Amino acid sequence: MRRSVWGLLAAIGLLLGLAAPASAYEPVNVVHTEKVVAGPYTVTVGFSTWPLKAMQSLDFTFAPDDGIAGKQGNVIMSLGRQRQGEPLARHPRKRDVWGLDVRSLPEPGDWTVRFNIEGPKGTGTGELRDLKVMEQPGPPMGLSWAISTIPLFGLIALIVIAWRRTRRPV
Amino acid sequence: MDMTASMAAGRDTAARNVPRGLLPASFVLGGTLLSLVGLTWDIQWHSDVGPDTFFTLPHLFLYSGSAVSGIASLVVVLLTTAAQRRGADIDPIVGGRAVGVFGRTFAAPVGYLVSGVGAASFLLYGLWDQWWHGLYGFDAVIDSPPHIGLLLSISITMVGAVMVFATARDQRWGQIGTVVGAATLIAFSMVTVIGLQALPNGIVRPVTAGATFMCVLLLTMACGVITRRGGAIAVAVAVGLLQAVFWWFSPWAARVYADAVGLPVRDYIDGVPSLPAMIPMSLIIVAVAIELLRKAPAVIAGVVGGLIITLTLPLQNIWVYDSSMPPTDVYLATAATGAVVGALAGMLGRRFSQMLRHLAPTNETSTKEASHA
Repeated sequence: MRRSVWGLLAAIGLLLGLAAPASAYEPVNVVHTEKVVAGPYTVTVGFSTWPLKAMQSLDFTFAPDDGIAGKQGNVIMSLGRQRQGEPLARHPRKRDVWGLDVRSLPEPGDWTVRFNIEGPKGTGTGELRDLKVMEQPGPPMGLSWAISTIPLFGLIALIVIAWRRTRRPV
Repeated sequence: MDMTASMAAGRDTAARNVPRGLLPASFVLGGTLLSLVGLTWDIQWHSDVGPDTFFTLPHLFLYSGSAVSGIASLVVVLLTTAAQRRGADIDPIVGGRAVGVFGRTFAAPVGYLVSGVGAASFLLYGLWDQWWHGLYGFDAVIDSPPHIGLLLSISITMVGAVMVFATARDQRWGQIGTVVGAATLIAFSMVTVIGLQALPNGIVRPVTAGATFMCVLLLTMACGVITRRGGAIAVAVAVGLLQAVFWWFSPWAARVYADAVGLPVRDYIDGVPSLPAMIPMSLIIVAVAIELLRKAPAVIAGVVGGLIITLTLPLQNIWVYDSSMPPTDVYLATAATGAVVGALAGMLGRRFSQMLRHLAPTNETSTKEASHA
């Protein structure tokens, strides 16, 4: 038993050891930009993939021309009645600008990205309109869900078999 | 003195001290606990820090959890098959009655068959997930279809872990393992049910209904499997301990790992441990109600349990997240749904406990012959 436990601990240690060199993170690579004027501030919106497709994640960067120091605000992405808003936070892998890391937009359509910014020059609001998001790549979601819930149906089948074989109370 | 003989004798003594079936069952259960640790860590990592790759440390915990459970299951199946082929007795205390797999190629104790199939399924869904990330990017979306496939696969391994311990429910280690296995499955299921967000989100909160179903189901099941009083309460206490430990561990581990790889903590994090906050804190009350109502029809205990969870969970969220009450119609409709799914879970939980009681060797008619699955 003791040898087995040591073996297990050794395996876990090996896993932890191998994790360190594998934990390198890709830099943010902006391939397309748009300009948004929000009152006294001009914001460059960067995208790490272009064009955008629904459900396909990418890095967004929001860079005011004179930097983010002394400024705060929020960003709201909307499509029809769908809205997702949050404070303007520094991008985890590009700390000199605001951004959203590996984020996707859930549906195709013409999205609006709205910025509300407060800073030394006062407050400003601006929008990037008609941000085109194309149809999602890959198989239809119904098929993806059908494939992914096979274990659930397998479990239900097991329960049905067990149910029929265990009618006698014990 | 013959040192070899002495050491061999020592090992034999040590082997005799370990109850038959405990060692492989512990590996399966340990694997599921590794998976649970990996899951709470991973969710917190995405919430507090962010970036993802296939080989993050929390991911490795998730992978190694299924690997440990799967290898332990495979070893038991191979040893059982070998024993059957040489005509030796197969002790059903090790995972329950052996069933034939691929005809009679393998003889697999039913509990280990289930845990092993879950681990094998995890491997397949790992490939599906890798393909998905290649197409959609490394989105930190917990309820993507492949992620739900992975979570369901781990859940099957956890069901197998409960089965292998329930087989020995007449022994103390079997009861303890059943309690820990059921508690692990409850905590884990709070994340799996997030997949129900894919359903239309109208006046009822489907995720709350799903969490309610799993909690009532597993507590009722534990109450029936462990025949002495207090089985459901023991599971609720174990869930509470996991919740308390993860409340501290998850944010701590996310920060330590972020420091180790040189990544900053996000701006504007809420500081709430994500997975532990999903677990209803009212489970101990639900468990007491189930124990008190164990002689009553299962549907009544289920309704009571369902109502307790759905009525208190929004209050928990107000306390933890400083959020506001949901609209009254949503609150009441979700509670009504909680009563319905609770009733169903209560009935199923009691029936599942009967299924698990059948696994115990004392109820076996034959321990030698393997039958077809």
